[in-house]
Amino acid sequence: MASEDKSKPAVLIVEDEPLIRMEAVDMIMDAGFKTYEAGSADKAIAMMELHDDIGILFTDIDMPGTMDGLKLAAYVRNRWPPVAIIIASGVVELERTSLPEGSAFFPKPYATSQITKTLHDIAVRLH
Amino acid sequence: MSVAILAPRGRDAEVARQLLDKENIASVVAPSVEKLTHYVQNQIGAVLVAEEALIGTEIEALQHSLQMQPPWSDVPFIVLANGTASSRSAAAKLRMDALRNAVLLSRPLHAEELVRAIRSALNARTRQYEARERMVKLEFREQQLYESEAKFHAIADSVDQMIWSTLPDGYHDYYNRRWYEFTGVPDGSTDGEAWNGMFHPDDQERAWSKWRHSLATGDPYEIEYRLKHRSGDYRWVLGRAQPVRSSTGEIIRWYGSCTDIHKIKIAEEQRQLMLAEMNHRVKNTLAMVHAIVSQTLRQADSLQDAQASIQSRIGMMAQAHDRLIQSTWTETKIDEVVEAALVPHRSGQGHFKVEGPDLPIGSKQALALTMALHELATNAAKYGALSIAAGKIHIYWDIIDQGENAVFEFNWVESKGPKVEQPSRRGLGSRMIEQALAGYFNGSAELSYKTEGLSFVLKSLSKGLTD
Repeated sequence: MASEDKSKPAVLIVEDEPLIRMEAVDMIMDAGFKTYEAGSADKAIAMMELHDDIGILFTDIDMPGTMDGLKLAAYVRNRWPPVAIIIASGVVELERTSLPEGSAFFPKPYATSQITKTLHDIAVRLH
Repeated sequence: MSVAILAPRGRDAEVARQLLDKENIASVVAPSVEKLTHYVQNQIGAVLVAEEALIGTEIEALQHSLQMQPPWSDVPFIVLANGTASSRSAAAKLRMDALRNAVLLSRPLHAEELVRAIRSALNARTRQYEARERMVKLEFREQQLYESEAKFHAIADSVDQMIWSTLPDGYHDYYNRRWYEFTGVPDGSTDGEAWNGMFHPDDQERAWSKWRHSLATGDPYEIEYRLKHRSGDYRWVLGRAQPVRSSTGEIIRWYGSCTDIHKIKIAEEQRQLMLAEMNHRVKNTLAMVHAIVSQTLRQADSLQDAQASIQSRIGMMAQAHDRLIQSTWTETKIDEVVEAALVPHRSGQGHFKVEGPDLPIGSKQALALTMALHELATNAAKYGALSIAAGKIHIYWDIIDQGENAVFEFNWVESKGPKVEQPSRRGLGSRMIEQALAGYFNGSAELSYKTEGLSFVLKSLSKGLTD
């Protein structure tokens, strides 16, 4: 397991399925990133307010509660513009225009290598 | 067309007959008023009669027959007069009037006068017959029209479709019975352009523009829209119309229909929803499998171990899905979930004691509990109470307290097994039990590695069972 790298931004993982969230956390930790996790958009916003080292939002779309992943991404883009956004979802018919500009999208299930590459690219860009 | 002659006295009848013969005018001699009446009844062409013959009681029958003629018929009479008009009695005048259509010829007979009078009478009579023919034809046509209209209404009202028709400018002036049955509006109330108000507000503009386009271009009209049913609900219908053109190509009328497609439309919508839902679930399941495989591989000691774990874990998921499909996909019963999860681990040695009420449990929670029980049982078979004959596992659950703060508690307690040691590292099994299961119930879960046996407790608000 790669060690946590202070020079890399922390990643907030937002996913309502605990098992899938667990795997996403492991995957991103293995890639050498510090992780935070949340099971809903509301909890994710609370996490963002609490931890200013979060530089990347990694979120699912389809989540219960008042806000889904798309609304969360739009909210985060608006309130914390520098935070990079990665969206992963099994949603079939997705309008690309509904994603915040500059965000990355991956269909679920995703390949670990694709996600880690994207994370590393963002880390390099943000550094 | 022939002339009946009644002139019983003298040679008048014979003279007249010869005269007419010469002129090629057919005639018959009536020997009596009775016989003349018979000819009149049989629509004779004209009658030549001597005034003095029109007496006696038989005259009444003749008068009656004349009255009873059909509306088109008026047998012309040429009466050979007795004397002059001034010498005629009142009774004789009445008798003359009773003939209805009579001209008087004075005697002695003048041949040309007689022939002209007869010809004129026969011509008039021919015109009567021609008029009758035309009238009969008209009546026949009217009858045909009536029958064809009745046939049209019978057909139009017998089909399941609503049928309507408009003038070339789109003015609606006909709807069949089905339209009124479906919409429940009074007859005639949707004539003109009032039909548009029967459409769902969201469909009115679209229907109008399509209809205007068809009226302007003559293109067939076709549209699916929601029509207000008499119940007040809107139902999906398929509207269609075609123009009927004259021989010169001008549109004479539009004929249209509406077909109730509500059930088909709703079924189609449900099918789409179901497909989307199925797709979502399949994707979700694949994501779960993805997570389980990744997690298992991440922590496996060997590829062989990993293969066995992946197979049994995915097998367990598949089994949990079976049960969810048998119930309604959304909820099942907790005792069934527990029982099904334990089945592969039952050996008939009485290891398990299971107690708890029959509670509803959501699909996600059922799947997570199945997976957790599988992990617990697999671990127990390797290291715990299921690894020796005397081992016991007590599984029990309940709702503690009531109302808003009611708490659901689920316990797994092993005893009489081998001595338990704290594991050196946490595998997927324990993480699945503690982290994932707790997450699905939105509660807390804890494994305790006590020396006398492993135990596990899950606590959540009772609404966590189904939320």
